[in-house]
Amino acid sequence: MTLLRSEWLKLWTARTTWVMLGIALAGEALFAGLYTGLASIADIEGPPGEPEGLETVATGVGLMLVMMLVLGVLIATTEFRYGTASSTFLATPKRWPALLAKLGVALAVGLVAGLAYIAVNAGLAAPLLSSRGGDVPAAGDLAGIYAGVVASYAILAAFGLGVGAVVRNQVGAIIAAIAFFFVLSPLPELLPGSIGDYFPAQAIGSLHGNPEGDANLSQFAGGLVLGAWAAVLVTLGTLLICRRDVSE
Amino acid sequence: MPELEVRNLTKRYGRTVAVDDLSFGVEAGRVTGFLGPNGSGKTTTMRALLGLLRPTSGEALVEGAPPVTMRDPLRTIGAALEATAFHPGRNGRNHLRTLAAAAGIPDSRVEEVLEMVELMGAAGRRVKGYSLGMRQRLALAAALLGEPRILILDEPANGLDPAGMRWLRDLLREQAASGRTVLISSHLLSEVAQVAEELVMIRKGKLVAQGSLAEFTAGGGGQVRVRAADLSGLAEALAEAAGSVARDGDDAILVGGIESARIGEIALRRGIAIHELAPQAQSLEERFFELMGEEEDSA
Repeated sequence: MTLLRSEWLKLWTARTTWVMLGIALAGEALFAGLYTGLASIADIEGPPGEPEGLETVATGVGLMLVMMLVLGVLIATTEFRYGTASSTFLATPKRWPALLAKLGVALAVGLVAGLAYIAVNAGLAAPLLSSRGGDVPAAGDLAGIYAGVVASYAILAAFGLGVGAVVRNQVGAIIAAIAFFFVLSPLPELLPGSIGDYFPAQAIGSLHGNPEGDANLSQFAGGLVLGAWAAVLVTLGTLLICRRDVSE
Repeated sequence: MPELEVRNLTKRYGRTVAVDDLSFGVEAGRVTGFLGPNGSGKTTTMRALLGLLRPTSGEALVEGAPPVTMRDPLRTIGAALEATAFHPGRNGRNHLRTLAAAAGIPDSRVEEVLEMVELMGAAGRRVKGYSLGMRQRLALAAALLGEPRILILDEPANGLDPAGMRWLRDLLREQAASGRTVLISSHLLSEVAQVAEELVMIRKGKLVAQGSLAEFTAGGGGQVRVRAADLSGLAEALAEAAGSVARDGDDAILVGGIESARIGEIALRRGIAIHELAPQAQSLEERFFELMGEEEDSA
């Protein structure tokens, strides 16, 4: 618990965190507002047969996803960039408990960001849509989708943390995480069969309730696949950090 | 048992040998100076003692055990490694709070150490705007947080003004006097000589000498100035006894390698009257350069 508090403090006493979350939230509100306020109702509701108004809640998710990924990387790498890793591992010579605390903080940040997303969505996008006569999804559908968004944020922050712990160099890790997630991991979709479903890009589609309709796993299975990727990376990163010399 | 000990410590980075079969111990209750030129392996040795790097071979021990097994690390050992190791956007107080939180140390202790290092006024400012001296004080405050039994400080005097140096010396003496173990490194002899009672000198990762300040200045390697009735006869006898003999002016010789009592005995056996027998106290600086120079020749 003490380590968790330490990592939590580290996160919120750095201005970067506030700036990044602020930008992502503002961007999200802007997109959601513009889309639900200006797009034609027919476009928003989509073709018949698809759950109604699903895209309302899927709007503006992407920017915060990128921020979560980057924030996860920062939680792992900032200490190596500024040389505070030595102080941290002096207080936790076994090192892995500090990484575990960082993981806890990454997941918690995902939760906070997810709740903020829900607030914007439920407070802005949904009322706007219904004031224009559009159909807002049923409460049950909404809850499921919101849960998927919150989970995706938390898991993506953990994923970023894992990449950061493996790579350690901050800029390198940010590039690696974004390149892997948004460039490499969608590629297997092009392969025949369902192999693409088990890579992060498609898995996150499933977790978000499959808004684009080309991922085949259930929401829960999508979450499990994404979580497994993050777990492997975090474990690998933790093992490496426990083994490597700390000269920062 | 020494509080800090390295045993046959070797650390290689690829082909570079940073620390080479180094062994020494550091005792409690006094300030030990860890001296060596830049790049001689001081920081590597300290990092090994702190469990931050894995020795290639040999071991580094804190209170007799590997540092990774420390049960209450911040109360055992406090370290200030680099004065630049702060998140620039975090203020000094918050930096200390993150460290205190990790060890379950109350925030009130943060205020205490800020007071101790005289950084109260700047505690709310972001570290980005700190001078080097202020960063040193903040690093020291971090080291003192857990009231540790052992302090390891890497070049703590860098960037301090003369008043700051004096303040640091007083603080270190106080810490040692209360029974703590204090190891400070420096590449500058003058910084260490004024506060350390014990010295460990390394060069190119190897131990050059270890001993008390008094031993260094009295010098096993010190010379004895001798005047005698039959100077050339005595010089001959001393040379036979494997001493080094050099002329010092017209009526004296400088003898090395034989202590004064033995010189007297040799003179007595030869029946030569001694006029003067004066051990030459060597300045620490001469000794320092002598030791460092010796290594250079053999390298």
